[in-house]
Amino acid sequence: MSADVMVRTRTRTVSAGTRRRPAKRKDPGRVLRLYIPLGLYLAFTLVPFYWMLVFALRPAGSTDPVPWPITFEHFETVWNDIGYAVFFKNSVIVGVWSLLFTTVIAVMGGYALARYRFRGRNLFMVVLLCTQFIPGAMMLIPLFSIFKSLGLINSLASLIIADTVFNLPLSIILMSGFISAVPFTVEEAAMVDGCTRLRGFLAIVLPQLRPGLIAVGSFAFIHTWNNFLFALMFVSKQDSFTIPVGLSYTIGEYSADFGALAAGGVVAALPVVCVFAVVQRYLVHGISAGAVKG
Amino acid sequence: MKLKVAGAALAVLAVAATGCGSDSGSDQGSGKTTITFWDNNGGTRTPIYQELIKRFEAANPSIHVEYVGIPISSVQQKYDTAIAGGDTPDVGGVTTSYLANLTGQQALEPADEWLAKSSVNGKLATSMLDSVRKTVPDGKLYLVPNTSNMDVVWYLKDKLQKAPDTWDEFFGSADELTKKPDEYGYTIRGGAGSIFQILAEMYSYSGISEFFDASGKSTVNDPKNVEFLTKMAGLYKKNTPEADVTNDFPKMVAQFGTGKIAMMHHNLGSYNDHVKAHGKDKIGAFALPTGPGGKRTIVANPVDGFAVFKNSEHKEAAWKFVEFLVSHDSNSYWNEQTGQIPANTDAQGDSWLQGLEHLKTAVETLNDPNTQVVSPPYYLPQFSSITKADTEPLFQKVLLGQMTPQEFLDTLAQKLTDAEAEWKKATGG
Repeated sequence: MSADVMVRTRTRTVSAGTRRRPAKRKDPGRVLRLYIPLGLYLAFTLVPFYWMLVFALRPAGSTDPVPWPITFEHFETVWNDIGYAVFFKNSVIVGVWSLLFTTVIAVMGGYALARYRFRGRNLFMVVLLCTQFIPGAMMLIPLFSIFKSLGLINSLASLIIADTVFNLPLSIILMSGFISAVPFTVEEAAMVDGCTRLRGFLAIVLPQLRPGLIAVGSFAFIHTWNNFLFALMFVSKQDSFTIPVGLSYTIGEYSADFGALAAGGVVAALPVVCVFAVVQRYLVHGISAGAVKG
Repeated sequence: MKLKVAGAALAVLAVAATGCGSDSGSDQGSGKTTITFWDNNGGTRTPIYQELIKRFEAANPSIHVEYVGIPISSVQQKYDTAIAGGDTPDVGGVTTSYLANLTGQQALEPADEWLAKSSVNGKLATSMLDSVRKTVPDGKLYLVPNTSNMDVVWYLKDKLQKAPDTWDEFFGSADELTKKPDEYGYTIRGGAGSIFQILAEMYSYSGISEFFDASGKSTVNDPKNVEFLTKMAGLYKKNTPEADVTNDFPKMVAQFGTGKIAMMHHNLGSYNDHVKAHGKDKIGAFALPTGPGGKRTIVANPVDGFAVFKNSEHKEAAWKFVEFLVSHDSNSYWNEQTGQIPANTDAQGDSWLQGLEHLKTAVETLNDPNTQVVSPPYYLPQFSSITKADTEPLFQKVLLGQMTPQEFLDTLAQKLTDAEAEWKKATGG
């Protein structure tokens, strides 16, 4: 392509852009097509959250649709009386360790699947996918027996291990897709320059995996954070339960404390919302990249 | 170098993770016996048990009780997993609704011998003891009763001045108190837990005294029960909110809390929620209206109590704890806090209970010789699934007019009859 053609092409693009912009402003259909559906969808999504905040912040017995006067009594109830202070700490410990283990092991497993051709590789991938169809409840008793024989019942380690194991199949598959997207020739070039394979991976490939690491890490954290079943079944100590167990305390056999339930929901949702807010940029890119390359 | 760093980091992670928890037996070496107690409705009752445990430990310094609150929604699954894994507690909160399931797995220790020698012998309500014994095939006492409940209709005193005595009066009141567009005379439980409530209402209306006739056939589809269900389903959308079709108890209680509903059928357990929403003076309760000839029939609620598990290594301490929990003072304290009927007969006469109108009514109703108590077949292993997953969606169809009351009750009756026959065959009955 000659320089002249390139200049002409740029000129066309720019002029096309300048032609489109005023047209957008004048398009009355845009409001109908874009903003109204988006606004409705946003309202549909946010109304339940609004109600959660209303219940959490208004006094018990109030039926006002606006939380006024604001009270923090429900937060005090869940934090002090129900024991969220301890449950929150436990959830953070389990979530963070599970995130770290899942990410580290998924990088190693994903690298092997992406870079090595070995017998049974495809079968292994299929088996990994198949594990996604096994519900956690089915594995409860076998895992319980294993943890009991290892002395890990009533320990947060049992939750970290179980959650990591259940996070790994999808994480390895995703990570393998990310690593495949980085050309092997780049690693080879590093090795030609004197790097070992590990150093080449750490110096050249790993920095390019940032969206993948964030996608896998956030999936692992959120899945672990929300896991109720394992948290209740592998632990029988009051000070070792996690947030989802604490949340279910607010609904009793014959009564329900909606204020505490909503306040507990806010506390439980806050870290997940924060994680999404920070990583959503990488997450969307990460999911799509992992989905199409493998 | 980086390989070493990565390896060291993983090792640190592994060591740190395994050190995250702490195992039980913290009192080893101090000469104390530690027993574990699982509360089958952890959460709102936790502070009550914490207080009782404090009192127990003060009276028994050599025993330490470790409290674990299990959410009510998952308690059966938790027990099943613990039994399968051989890691049961020493003492557990258990109700008759899943007692048969636990005894079927040989998980519990019978309490008969212990009770015969205990200081609470003769102090526990006979009706509750009988109800527990009827739940299991061998007729033993695997659960020491702590409390029971009773179905009542809660109402707002400013809307309904006189509680109805008969079902005809009840249907009349539901209609009169409905003021469109958004005030309703009644709310129907159409979602989770609907079947138990409709059973209680039907038997109260028909006055039938047994769930099965002599041949083992269910009485659920008796013409009087069908007649009642037709009337009750007729209230839906006419005198109740349309959303009732998915009402579970939290939604029903929340609706009642808005003040737009005049009457609501639930049990004594939701008293504190109503007081919180409306204030003590505005709330009233009446037992389900009388049936034919003015006779009152009530369907027995599950009995809630304590069981000692077979795997316990400290059975003596476990029984001691159970004895403490059902003693006069503890049982009175527990039931005063929860607003339920004490199992200890001395506690039933305490002044706090006489001061609570709804509880006094309930105790009087239960102790009235004219009251007929119908015991649901909690002993059937399928009773829970039949009255929940199998038939709750069908009841919603009845409300929506997609199934007739007769078809619904025939289906329910057939399932119960089959389960009864199977149970009799299995137990040689």
